[in-house]
Amino acid sequence: MSYTFKDLHWAREIPLNKYLVPQSLTEALEMLGEYRGKARVIAGGTDVIPQMRHRDFEVEALVDITRLPGMNVIEQEGDDVALGGLVTHAQVASSHLIREKARLLADGAARLGSPQIRNIATVAGNVVSGQPAADTSIPLLALNGRVTIASKNGDRIVPLTEFFLGIGKTLLDPGKEILTRIQFGALGQNQGGCYLRLSKRKALALPMLVCASVVTVEPQKRVIEEASIALGPVAPTPFRASQAEARLRNAPITRETLNAASDMSMAECTPRDSLLRGSCEYREEMVKVFVRRSLEGALEQAGFPIK
Amino acid sequence: MNHAANFLRGNTMRDKTEDRKEVKVLTKEKLDLEQLLAAPKEALSVAGHSVTRTDDLQKVTGKLMYGADYPQGGFLHGKILRSPFPHALIKAIHVEKARKLPGVVGVLTAKDVPGRNGFGAIWPDQPVICGEKVRFVGDGVALVAAETEKIAHEALSLIEVDYEPLPPVFDPRDALKPDAPQIHEKGNLLSSNKLRKGDVERGFAEADVIIERTYQVPFLEHAYLEPDISFAIPQPDGTMLVEGPMQAPFTVRRNLAAVLGLSVNQVRVRQIHMGGGFGGKEDSPIDVGCRAAVLAYHTGRPVRLSLEREEVTLQTSKRHPMIMEIKVGAKKDGHLVAFEGVIYDEQGAYAGLGPVIPPAGGSHIHSMVMMPGPYEIPHVKVDAHLCYTNHPYGGAMRGFGAPQVHIAHEQLMDELAQELGMDPAELRRKNAFRLGSVTATGQVLDQSVGLIETLDACANAFDWENRCGKSQYIDNKGSRRRGVGIGMGWYRTSIGTSSDGCGANVYVHEDGSVLLYTGITEMGQGAFTVLPQICAEELGVRMEDVRLVKPDTDMVPESGPTVGSRSTTLMGNAIIMAARQIKESILEMASEMLLVPIDRLEAKDRQIYDRKSPGNSLAFKEVAAKCMAMGKRLIGQGWWAPPPASLDPETGQGNPYFVYTYSTHMAEVVVDVETGEVEVTDYVAAFDVGKAINPKAVEGQIEGGVAMGLGYALMEKLVLEEGYPQNLNLQDYLIPTTLDVPDIKPIILEVKNRLGPYGAKGIGEMPNIPATPAILNAIANACGGRVRSLPADPESVFQAIREAGGPPEK
Amino acid sequence: MNKVALSFKLNGRNVSVEVSPNTLLVDLLRENLGLTGTKVGCREGECGSCTVLLDGIPINSCLLPALKVADRSVTTIEGLVGEDGQLHPLQQAFMIEGAAQCGFCTPGMIMNAKALLDENAEPDDAEIRHALSGTLCRCTGYRKIVQAVVTASQMKKS
Repeated sequence: MSYTFKDLHWAREIPLNKYLVPQSLTEALEMLGEYRGKARVIAGGTDVIPQMRHRDFEVEALVDITRLPGMNVIEQEGDDVALGGLVTHAQVASSHLIREKARLLADGAARLGSPQIRNIATVAGNVVSGQPAADTSIPLLALNGRVTIASKNGDRIVPLTEFFLGIGKTLLDPGKEILTRIQFGALGQNQGGCYLRLSKRKALALPMLVCASVVTVEPQKRVIEEASIALGPVAPTPFRASQAEARLRNAPITRETLNAASDMSMAECTPRDSLLRGSCEYREEMVKVFVRRSLEGALEQAGFPIK
Repeated sequence: MNHAANFLRGNTMRDKTEDRKEVKVLTKEKLDLEQLLAAPKEALSVAGHSVTRTDDLQKVTGKLMYGADYPQGGFLHGKILRSPFPHALIKAIHVEKARKLPGVVGVLTAKDVPGRNGFGAIWPDQPVICGEKVRFVGDGVALVAAETEKIAHEALSLIEVDYEPLPPVFDPRDALKPDAPQIHEKGNLLSSNKLRKGDVERGFAEADVIIERTYQVPFLEHAYLEPDISFAIPQPDGTMLVEGPMQAPFTVRRNLAAVLGLSVNQVRVRQIHMGGGFGGKEDSPIDVGCRAAVLAYHTGRPVRLSLEREEVTLQTSKRHPMIMEIKVGAKKDGHLVAFEGVIYDEQGAYAGLGPVIPPAGGSHIHSMVMMPGPYEIPHVKVDAHLCYTNHPYGGAMRGFGAPQVHIAHEQLMDELAQELGMDPAELRRKNAFRLGSVTATGQVLDQSVGLIETLDACANAFDWENRCGKSQYIDNKGSRRRGVGIGMGWYRTSIGTSSDGCGANVYVHEDGSVLLYTGITEMGQGAFTVLPQICAEELGVRMEDVRLVKPDTDMVPESGPTVGSRSTTLMGNAIIMAARQIKESILEMASEMLLVPIDRLEAKDRQIYDRKSPGNSLAFKEVAAKCMAMGKRLIGQGWWAPPPASLDPETGQGNPYFVYTYSTHMAEVVVDVETGEVEVTDYVAAFDVGKAINPKAVEGQIEGGVAMGLGYALMEKLVLEEGYPQNLNLQDYLIPTTLDVPDIKPIILEVKNRLGPYGAKGIGEMPNIPATPAILNAIANACGGRVRSLPADPESVFQAIREAGGPPEK
Repeated sequence: MNKVALSFKLNGRNVSVEVSPNTLLVDLLRENLGLTGTKVGCREGECGSCTVLLDGIPINSCLLPALKVADRSVTTIEGLVGEDGQLHPLQQAFMIEGAAQCGFCTPGMIMNAKALLDENAEPDDAEIRHALSGTLCRCTGYRKIVQAVVTASQMKKS
């Protein structure tokens, strides 16, 4: 443990030479390209500005994408729900469509930070931050979300299960690429989801644990056809408890099933000791509790509550 | 008291007066004006009312100027280079590169301090600029002044320091070991203090039940919303002016004078309205003020030195952490017979506000005195050790050592109640102070003791009888449990030093308007409203007639610091004395003008009137104008100090503080026993404040103080690893939000303090003291988990439930 | 660093300034435009003292690059007083209820409360606390602040 200069001394000003406001996606990508990695995308700014203040990185220019057209939409596309890259947490939290088709995502968006932050921070920005416990990354991961990454070479769609690489690192390079769209399957009949969060106070708090699950029930056999369990921070990236998920496939809707799934989730994740977020032992115990509660909630929403 | 007689004898007043029989009677009899003036007012017209605060309009319109709001033009920007080691020698420091940076006007090292290279609220043992060694992460090793803040910051990064790290010590018990690294030359122990009453051996022998526990509390951060800032402006005449948010202008001035090598009268200090203080701004302004002043001294230019939030957390003082070992012995029926305690009081790197100022000043001795709690205990033994460590240093934080010991004794009382199978409120009722009780220091509480009254009022409002006892499940799944808890407390009004005096000047003008000069500062507690209320009440004018002149050491009398819940009481008394001097003139003149004996006159609401015939009256301003025209004194000066404090240094026996405020709190919590999450769902707190000069402001102190105590209980801790603070910003140092604090119900009781303005005693600190243990006790009641090392965050509660073998059966 | 032109609506009036690209809205308001009613408590969006309304919506101005407000409208605490000098009901209510102690959080609290009342004329305690959950107060324990918002909503009704 030791401190460097920037841990002990804070300047008020943020080093920056240019603040660019492109009017089209093409223009934005051009601008990023010109700076060859010395520029970066900014949307709401609630992550980027504090990071720059703490000198976590330095750029010459910021490319503000909030005026790009067509990215501020929440819409249904067949069986999918799609969010544009500029949709804010506040919009998602209050969206009728999302509350109906993916309530867990609305709940996650509603718990991030504070009202002021939710009003301007974008869900895409939350996903791009690559934080293991991001309040929207986790439910989106449970929903098997896909993201569209725009670059000068064109668009590509990446499933979130492949998107996260490490703490603060994703497949998207914010010096070159822009996340323009997020899609996931709307939850329908016999499906349910649940988002839960553990934190030290009730607002403005980074989470000790976030857990989101989605279940699909086979109504005739009363079994769980498919389930996804996403957790953070229990690994360097948002985490899917795939072994527990496998255990849940075709499992009967009983207490034993849920207990097995929560035990397995606890076993397969590897949270570290954190002086601020809690010890590894405690968070493992909480994984057990939250996976169980999250599955209970998802089953209830699906219409198959556990007694 | 012959003013009236002299006046009438030697003056060319209206002839009428000489013939009036009544007036002749007046002059013949010896007037005891003092007695007359001291008679309690039946009905108060300004004091005792919830008048709107004098600065509220400025606050709600955004017009109120805090330090950082003042224009920066003409100021150099000052910055501090800080140590990255908790303990190290400074072998060399190279400032040439920094000096050469364009826009840098001054780079200073230790040898550049003109006077004493040391500051501190009690002992000046903290270097303004470290020269030989550093003692905590954040200790200052160089100062820079530059044309812009950006250049100053860059200059800091160009300074090179060669350190030789030394082994650090982080636990006060380790600091006491003979082979411990010595932090200061005189060793790591600041003082060991003793309290001895009766014979604890005998006491424990007589006890039916004995309980022994250890409690531990961490460093806390004040987290006032306004970061520290200071302005130092060298004057053409060689004097230095320093301005900024601060609670103790005179302490700042005294330090500045020594550091600059000036006499006290060559330094002028002015308070700027604070965005919160809570005791932190008692000493942090000394730090930033001395550093800004030294930069101003050398550069010859005004310097603005402001701290970012992280820097406030890094370098300013904290609440003392403590390890408290206690043992209590009681009879089967609940009566306490013996109390033994040991306190390891962690002072941190510098003396701050810990050391003993004889007889009973400083936070350490205060903790010792308060440790046994507001209970009658015949045999008491306390040993308290104040130790340096290589951590941030302890200053004053709302309660000044009392919150920590209350967390210990109030939890212990509950554990004792459990052992005895008694209602925890009943156990307290049996032992709590009453009028005539003798404290652990042998002080007889001979007036103003409303503790039992607060217990009754609180229990009544909270419906304790029906809610106390077993915890209850509140959901089908059985994971959420409700519980209730009680916390009782007492807190002094005054600081227990020999120098606890307060001076006030009052000037009345020819139009009846008033200027009030006081060195008491405003940090949101309402002093700038309450003190004018007292002044207006005593003079007999309205609130809006009194303008308070903000503390300026050139203009106001020595008033001591705004701490220790002393302001309303001590300064209030001084104001009353000052006002009475003026009132002598006013009443004498009015008596003359109305031809009514003085003892029949009342001054109220801008009128001086005959009590027997109220229609016979004069406007205050008319009388004032006449006084001014006739050269009658309209200046008053008051000086009030409490009865002398006493505390024997060997036995801790004496009367350390002259009066106490008392309170009882009751809290309801809901605990999720599977996760350890705690929600405080209901809260009642009753206080004996002697007299509420501004009831709404008193409520505000209660509600805010309870919220602060809630933070201490559930979420606050400065996390340190190897001496490095981990949570410097408000993202990670957690204080309660709107969603964490319940609707708190305050109850105000008044058991008059004979020695306070209209019966008042202090309120500022009391509310945050019993709140923490009340909540901890409620948690234990709800889930069986007893958290003895704070905070009771979810993980700690979860562990505590585990240790208790799971939550109690339904 | 070159300065860039910026035009926006501030408290109802059109404003044109030149700012450096790295200027944050809170500093533009406080230093360039002399509106010091908006405060700086943490510079991390954690305390809410810097809250202003951007197109009527509360945001932390300490995190907002000034150039973001181009052609948009910003409202600060100074913009609450009516044209005739009449205080906004929230300002009056804060004074009546004693909801300000040190006053540092007061502008932020009032701006958040204003946005709430503009959208929800009769919020209950829970809704008020939720709307204010992003603004910290160390002095008041929040009780009188919540009461003030209730009082203001009643004043607005009549």
